[in-house]
Amino acid sequence: MNDYLYDGTYSSLLGLIYTLIKSKTIPNVIKREDEYISNLFMEPIYLKLENKELINSLKKEVSMLVLYTAYYIYLSNVNNKEMIIYGFIKNAIKYKNTVFYRRDIYVVSEAIRISNQVKGEAHRMKGFLRFKKMKNFYYATIEPTHNIIWIITRHFKDRLKDECWIIKDSKRGVYAIYDLKKVTYLQENDIIKLNLDLSDDETLFEDLWKTFFKTVAIKERENLKCQMNHAPKKYWNNMLEMEDL
Amino acid sequence: MTLKEKLIILSDSAKYDASCSSSGSTRRNSNGVGNAAYSGICHTFSSDGRCVSLLKILMTNACIFDCKYCINRRSNDVKRALFTPEEICEITMNFYKRNYIEGLFLSSGIIKSPDYTMEKIIETISLLRYKYHFNGYIHAKAIPGASEYLLKKLGKLVDRLSANIELPSDSSLKLLAPQKNVDKISTIMDTVKKNRSKSFTPAGQSTQMIIGASKETDLDILGKSEHLYNTYDLRRVFYSAYIPVNKDNLLPSIEMPPLVRENRLYQADWLLRFYNYKVDNLLDKNNPNFNVLIDPKADWALRHMEEFPKEINKASYYDLLKIPGIGPKSAKRIVSSRKYFKIEFKDLKKMGISLKRAKYFILCNGKYFTNMEIFNKRFIESNLILENKEPIKNVGVQLSLFNE
Ligand code: SF4
Repeated sequence: MNDYLYDGTYSSLLGLIYTLIKSKTIPNVIKREDEYISNLFMEPIYLKLENKELINSLKKEVSMLVLYTAYYIYLSNVNNKEMIIYGFIKNAIKYKNTVFYRRDIYVVSEAIRISNQVKGEAHRMKGFLRFKKMKNFYYATIEPTHNIIWIITRHFKDRLKDECWIIKDSKRGVYAIYDLKKVTYLQENDIIKLNLDLSDDETLFEDLWKTFFKTVAIKERENLKCQMNHAPKKYWNNMLEMEDL
Repeated sequence: MTLKEKLIILSDSAKYDASCSSSGSTRRNSNGVGNAAYSGICHTFSSDGRCVSLLKILMTNACIFDCKYCINRRSNDVKRALFTPEEICEITMNFYKRNYIEGLFLSSGIIKSPDYTMEKIIETISLLRYKYHFNGYIHAKAIPGASEYLLKKLGKLVDRLSANIELPSDSSLKLLAPQKNVDKISTIMDTVKKNRSKSFTPAGQSTQMIIGASKETDLDILGKSEHLYNTYDLRRVFYSAYIPVNKDNLLPSIEMPPLVRENRLYQADWLLRFYNYKVDNLLDKNNPNFNVLIDPKADWALRHMEEFPKEINKASYYDLLKIPGIGPKSAKRIVSSRKYFKIEFKDLKKMGISLKRAKYFILCNGKYFTNMEIFNKRFIESNLILENKEPIKNVGVQLSLFNE
């Protein structure tokens, strides 16, 4: 059993996993090359693959739903996610779409659980994200547990298609930039300095929002535990109404 | 008066409406700002643990009516305010673009006449839809007694309409809200039902009942809900624990809102809508109120021990739904999975199904989770009560269990 490395992209990971499954090779571990900690006993294998063809063949064997599930796992912050995707796809090839009913198989139940977690956080973030209005665009920072910026931008593109906006994942240094036409993703280093001057009415509406938030709560029904269960503290940093709590 | 002062008055007086859902509509962003998310989105949670999804405000809190339970009733000496249509649009748009909200929930006290009030609401929402090109979610309150043609006009602009029935019986309504009457509310519901389509209240209609302001039992209340669901295709009946805001000798004086009772009604309502239960299964004349200590489904199961334990690998979908702790999602999962393998207790965990409550009522492959000796009503009942995590400080009755 060997260690296998990939360049970090989803297509390389899928290509590698498919190659391993087809050649009946069982990996010891699969890791991004930049996350791999080398050890003395093992020389890792880095395969250079033509991913496109591999992925096309994979697509013939499993459904889109399987590939989406795998993609969500790929975006998760779970440590051995590559091996879970490997196990999941192996089972998906074997059981086709009924794989989703095979939760008696540990790796399948883990795969579904993790993908649901990522999907769940993406859904929550559609609500918890807050834009600030700057002079020229709307600006939001998020610090999600999973790498979900890639799957939430479509929602905002549909909704705010006539406004320029930027969402920053400050944990991972990734920016999603919408320029009225398309969303571009950039890394921290690629960004020229942004003009973060607030629009003139920003403080007014922030104040109105905080006021509204405080007023709608019914004090006879106070239930802070319930509040915290639904809106976990880890998101409060970027929810301005929680600032004074 | 500043915008902020208005917002305080007009959101404070709107907050007692329990509805805040933003689901059920697929409105698209054709050419402007916003769309609706079919599953609904919660944007934050207030300190009472409720989801905040819509900008919930009144157009005005001035009112010519004098409903006894209402903070805005004519006879109250409170500060009154009125939003202009532009003010409502500006706040909605600015909140929406900053992603604070899914949309607007606009209600109002009645000024001049029901028709005049409806016209004002329609003017505001038309402005929002046509001048501001807002395609997000809008829930509007229909004013009882307003003309049908206005209701039809409003229905075309919004995602959801509601008319609150507030009190479960005609006699209570007469006593506490003398200027409203049941007929006016049924007329609204009937019109909405008949006109509903993709372009007329796509998210349907809902209503609300206040719990504990009048003498009705849970049986009366839930019976009313069942009737409403069957007659008017309501999407939701909301229950709102009565909070005394006015002193009036027609109203009960209570220390705490009956939150546990409200919760039991929500749980039972859920059973009506998604579990195929009928009110008659849950309550009857000798048993007209829910057990405050145990949720309605578990209570039902404990009264029907002869139906349990159920074999997970064999029970039908509807039988699975009767098991405490198993909902539609879990039941579907079980039915589709057991074609492929025999389900054991350990598999249920992997399937994401909580065994905490279900374990007492099921067999997996012929096996009980522990010694069958504990399968008796008394034992299971006390365990369920002890495991109950709901706040019991608001039960409002003696906990007889602990005095035994
Ligand atoms: S009509 Fe509405 S606002 Fe007016 S008093 Fe009755 S409940 Fe309150």
